[in-house]
Amino acid sequence: MRNPSTQPPRARIRYVNPRFQGPAVLAFAAVIAIGGAIFWKLVDGEFQVAFRQAAIRGHYTFDSAYDIVRDILAWRLAELFAGVFLAGSILVLLLVAAARHGIGKAVDSLRASADRDLSTPTGACPIGEFDRFGGKIDAARSDTLASVMRIRSEAAALAAGGISPAEFGLRWDELKQRIRRIAP
Amino acid sequence: MSVPEAQGDGPLIHRRYVFGLLLRLCVTFAAGVGILFAILFFALSRPLPGDYAGVFHALRNLSPFLRPILAISVLVYALLACGSTSALSVYILHKVAGPLYRMDLVLDQYRADTPTRTVSFRNGDQIQPLAQAFNLWIGTLRRDRQRWLATMNDAERHCLQDETTCRAEREEALRKITEDMARYR
Repeated sequence: MRNPSTQPPRARIRYVNPRFQGPAVLAFAAVIAIGGAIFWKLVDGEFQVAFRQAAIRGHYTFDSAYDIVRDILAWRLAELFAGVFLAGSILVLLLVAAARHGIGKAVDSLRASADRDLSTPTGACPIGEFDRFGGKIDAARSDTLASVMRIRSEAAALAAGGISPAEFGLRWDELKQRIRRIAP
Repeated sequence: MSVPEAQGDGPLIHRRYVFGLLLRLCVTFAAGVGILFAILFFALSRPLPGDYAGVFHALRNLSPFLRPILAISVLVYALLACGSTSALSVYILHKVAGPLYRMDLVLDQYRADTPTRTVSFRNGDQIQPLAQAFNLWIGTLRRDRQRWLATMNDAERHCLQDETTCRAEREEALRKITEDMARYR
């Protein structure tokens, strides 16, 4: 028996599933880009006004341009952070809710399969990856049901009688092989 | 169908994981805003000329340069924030995407009639109930398969006796299996 302490540590794999992680990354990027664009638009206008007003005021009590727009910048940066974080948080919660719903349906479907219900559709949420995953589970269940049904009809045909002993023996062995192939 | 979390097998996605994701997102966005502030601070904090006319002209001339400065700083912010958030998303979401990918492979193997082993996810992975539910299903199928094979093997034992008994026992076994399989729908 191999000593586990001498085995090299298993590499941690960070699976990248573009169908699931890709849209999430794009959504976060969109939130940041929209936040940045709004910030730019607002700050640009307000800075122009602030500098123009400061120039015509004629009483210069500041050392740098930063002193003129400090408050505006602080507020707009705080708003940018709050806005982007709020939108990002909502996005995270939506992602988690979608994952809970989609995978929850898949779990329910597999549990129903354990109760031998292989025909009720998974009905995962219509979000790309979860829908596709639910479809895959349904396909696996459907294959299993078809296989069981074929075996059942063959068993019923054999049990009905009227088959020669030689043919019965052959089909009996074939049936056993088919049963062995269920969930190998 | 009931909600899986209500069945006591642990949540699909832990609250701690969600809070961790939100916290990391908060830190990433704060760092992005901090970098944006730093760029704008350094761009705007150059001292203005000392005399009245110099300050006036400096302020009047600042406006045309302001737009590119803002554009570049916002662009840098967007690129840095997008890059770090993307990396964070991939790093954090692999705890959901990884198990999904693994289950995808397992389902492919199962459909290809490749021997399927018990599924277990990595430590810290989310959606653990998915693996448990799949194992439960495969376990049920294997138990049923074993029972059907045992019924057939039992019937075959009678073949040591005469052929009529053998045939009758086999047909009886097949009827039992047919009845048992009727539970599948």
